[in-house]
Amino acid sequence: MNSSSTQFVASGRMGMYEPIHQIGMWGENFKSNGISNASASIFIAGNLNSSQSILMAADTKLDNQSEDTSQGTLGPSSKYDLEASKPMDKVQRRLAQNREAARKSRLRKKAYVKQLESSCLKLIQLEQELERARHQGLYIGGAETSQMGFAGQIISGIATFEMEYGRWLEEQNKHIRNLRNAINTHLSDIELGVLVENGINHYSELFRMKAIAAKADVFYLMSGMWKSSAERFFLWIGGFRPSELLQVLKPQIEPLTDQQLLDVCNLKQSCQQAEDALSQGMEKLQQTLAETVAAGRLCEASHMPQMDTAMEKLEGLVRFVQQADHLRQITLQQMSLILTIRQAARGLLALGEYFERLRALSSLWVTSSREPA
Amino acid sequence: MQEAIPFRTYIPATATSGGNRKFPPIGSATTIGGNVLVPANRENYVQKLVLENSVIVFGKRGCCMCHVVKRLLLGLGVNPTVFEVDEKEEAAVINELSNINGGKDVGEVGVQFPVVFVGGKLFGGLERVMATHISGELVPILKDAGALWL
Repeated sequence: MNSSSTQFVASGRMGMYEPIHQIGMWGENFKSNGISNASASIFIAGNLNSSQSILMAADTKLDNQSEDTSQGTLGPSSKYDLEASKPMDKVQRRLAQNREAARKSRLRKKAYVKQLESSCLKLIQLEQELERARHQGLYIGGAETSQMGFAGQIISGIATFEMEYGRWLEEQNKHIRNLRNAINTHLSDIELGVLVENGINHYSELFRMKAIAAKADVFYLMSGMWKSSAERFFLWIGGFRPSELLQVLKPQIEPLTDQQLLDVCNLKQSCQQAEDALSQGMEKLQQTLAETVAAGRLCEASHMPQMDTAMEKLEGLVRFVQQADHLRQITLQQMSLILTIRQAARGLLALGEYFERLRALSSLWVTSSREPA
Repeated sequence: MQEAIPFRTYIPATATSGGNRKFPPIGSATTIGGNVLVPANRENYVQKLVLENSVIVFGKRGCCMCHVVKRLLLGLGVNPTVFEVDEKEEAAVINELSNINGGKDVGEVGVQFPVVFVGGKLFGGLERVMATHISGELVPILKDAGALWL
């Protein structure tokens, strides 16, 4: 009779025990290898302890099959009769042992691979969280954001924006490269025109993304944390100054016709006026917000009526970001109307390279400031 | 003495502090004088205002976007009349405005304060003002309405 945990090989009718070399780790699951003998089983000696316990277990299952079962002895098996089929026995045993060893080794390999895979997944997860945390200064596990309600929305809104902005930057680099190639290889106006339009639409895409992010967390957008540090230095209501745009473009688009010069001059002035109006509006917002928060008697910080008013004013910030982005967009569009296609292409390229250089400057700054003085 | 209004001057910021909302009159003949109005009688008052002023801005009290429109128009040399709408009057004002020629869009979801009327007709919100200003269309429109003098 075979037991699941311990089995014995009996040659012939008698159980025969021989000192068998240790093959490997003793496995729990242990099937019969198909030896037809009813009491056939394989006995492999593991380490002494396990084999002792196995022997004990085996002994309880044996029913009078062996005449002389010694408790825990592994000595030579000369106690049992040797059959004439001893050589066959040895061969069979060796084969069985090999099979067993191979099976065990396969099981071990499977377990190892599974462990590797799960560790790998965990590592990827941790890396993602770290990225997010580094950007936001908060460490929160992925599963928790969904349970955090509104705060979770903000965090996921920002995380989404950052991811999309990363992709936007890659696309932007592609646009810049295409423009550079097109200008250097003297492509036709039609093809250039397509590239110019794509370039401007790409900025529009950024403004669309920002509008959504502004609704999630306008302060984050206004902080410019999603931009490189040099770009942040020039920050104006969550982005670049439209007048700065014109300043960058000017040297790249010459020569201009008289009419163009006049138009560019007018655009510059209008842009500056619009920018000033928005800046003054922002100042007023700050002023009234400060007054609102400072008003009232001294008491606990939250749940005061002026907090509601202050909250309303903060909602106004979202509109400011929208209007600022709108101004950026229409300035770009008006510029493209004034310029010829070729000039517009050069202008867009100049603008793209300008921001690229600012980003490069930021990285350079970070690495240089790490060096000892 | 009548002072000539230079084209596109910047008005010195003397009346911009939070409390005082009166605009210094610059001598333009057709506007009421750019003062902030707190009307007592609502009957057709809003309508009259729109028709009598070449440029009038309706904005919510304390709204900073309204301030942006004001500053922009001032910077152009325009002396806009500003009507500050109280929260309580908002619905009534919107209702009246929608009856005015071209004003039917006011009160729809898209149009929000501040809203500008030029030459008795609805002009638009801050976005339209910005867009027409950048494209160069705003100044001719203002001149046509008599809000700007060369």
